[in-house]
Amino acid sequence: MLHIIQPGLQTTLQGTPRVGFRHLGVPYAGPADPVSMALANRLVGNTPFETAIEITFGGFWVEVEIPCSIAITGAHAEITRAGQSLPAHQTLHMSAGNRLEIAPAKQGMRIYLAVTGGFAAQALFGSTATYLPAGFGGLEGRALKPGDTVVFAGKGLSEQTLQTPLDLRPVFTNSFALRACDSAETHLLTPDAYEALFNTVFTAGQQGTRMGVSLEGAALSLNSDGLMKSAAVYPGTIQCPPSGVPVALLCDAQTTGGYPRIAHIARCDRHLLGQIRPGDRVRLLHRSHEAAVEDLAAKDKVLRSWLDGFTL
Amino acid sequence: MLPPLTPRRVADDVFEIAVSTPAEAQRLAHALRQQGFAEDVVAGLDSVSIRFDPIALATVTTGLQTVQVPAGDSLQAGNIVEIGIEYGGEAGADLEQICAHTGLSIADFIALHTKAIHTVEMIGFTPGFSYISGLPEGFEVPRLSHPRPLVPAGAVGISVAFTGIYALPGPGGWPLIGRTSEILFDPAKDEPFLLKPGQRVRFRAA
Repeated sequence: MLHIIQPGLQTTLQGTPRVGFRHLGVPYAGPADPVSMALANRLVGNTPFETAIEITFGGFWVEVEIPCSIAITGAHAEITRAGQSLPAHQTLHMSAGNRLEIAPAKQGMRIYLAVTGGFAAQALFGSTATYLPAGFGGLEGRALKPGDTVVFAGKGLSEQTLQTPLDLRPVFTNSFALRACDSAETHLLTPDAYEALFNTVFTAGQQGTRMGVSLEGAALSLNSDGLMKSAAVYPGTIQCPPSGVPVALLCDAQTTGGYPRIAHIARCDRHLLGQIRPGDRVRLLHRSHEAAVEDLAAKDKVLRSWLDGFTL
Repeated sequence: MLPPLTPRRVADDVFEIAVSTPAEAQRLAHALRQQGFAEDVVAGLDSVSIRFDPIALATVTTGLQTVQVPAGDSLQAGNIVEIGIEYGGEAGADLEQICAHTGLSIADFIALHTKAIHTVEMIGFTPGFSYISGLPEGFEVPRLSHPRPLVPAGAVGISVAFTGIYALPGPGGWPLIGRTSEILFDPAKDEPFLLKPGQRVRFRAA
């Protein structure tokens, strides 16, 4: 068990994305950065989507109530136990009474903390992932707050001490280059706007939610009457409302929308969306649909060398 | 024999098929879901979207070649559900503007909206959000240029010719006409959704 002293800005329990329920209006949820969560789970002997803690930005402080094996990955932040520095990307064996603190992240947006056997959480539509807008999954469907106790689903202890291979540790800066493909209403962009979409260094908007990241820096012109019929959107869809400020949708993306879908972040790079901080720079790199699939196969292969059975 | 469907690639892992009506979209989506090759099949109002594992692209393209829109009537209509709406006021801040746009008085708009028998065409956006048809042809209201960052649960909006009810608080781009106290999504219930596609609805001024 972990006793939460300070959870930070928004800390939730996350599990497997709810694939297969979008026709009911149920979004995927799950980790905003599934690669980092899978890496944390790997270090404590779990499968990639075992229920883990997603910490937005850091400022997280807990007391360990029983001995356990944990691992921390994701955004770069200082980790300390009683003032002593601890490494990310390594199995950490904790004793009862240990106080663990994760400072605000220097780069990246979300930190993952996994424990052997995962955390106990409420499941709905086949997953424990917290979906905050509707208040289900995780711990009572809400973000963790001071005084909460999060309980281990399993024994909590691992005998192994593992480290993520150095070349598989994601490095986050304040700049992101994301591969993106044309989408259903790309043709509505004026030629200048299409050019701007792939040549602008955007600034991520201030909201920093799990629903979407707005991309500011170019007002994109559309040949649209605002009367589009609602159609499916997904994490990765880039919608453009008439304001001309596109929004890249994240893990909690709504299931349908009526703003033109002007591009789609390629599946291979969607996990990076979860690490973009407000104010970070974002560039889109154009890929054909076919090339994006090749990129995906290549990245999956690298990740699977360490993460058994993982696919993006 | 019907012509084969023409899926369009709209992402590296998404195909979309254009259809004519929401009911056709629901029927085709159901048929595709039964086939089991997709991660998600989502009916839009005039489209069906198929998200798939692109590493298994060949299976998906083969599957799509053999599927047709199943014949059928309009969606099954159950009992009429009555939904009370408090029209206008702060919760319906865009009602006046919608009336100005369509040339109706507020009283005429409410009369028009409460007289018709509406049909739930689609559930989407967030759990329980209902797209409800029943406004007359040509009744076309564009979405807001700047979506609101927070719309309360129960907010009722109009977009194009649909009435939409926000089941959850969250961002929203539909011009708002009012608010209902009905709960459209309750995760604690065995049947969490109040409405489903095909359901008939009548609105009442509350």
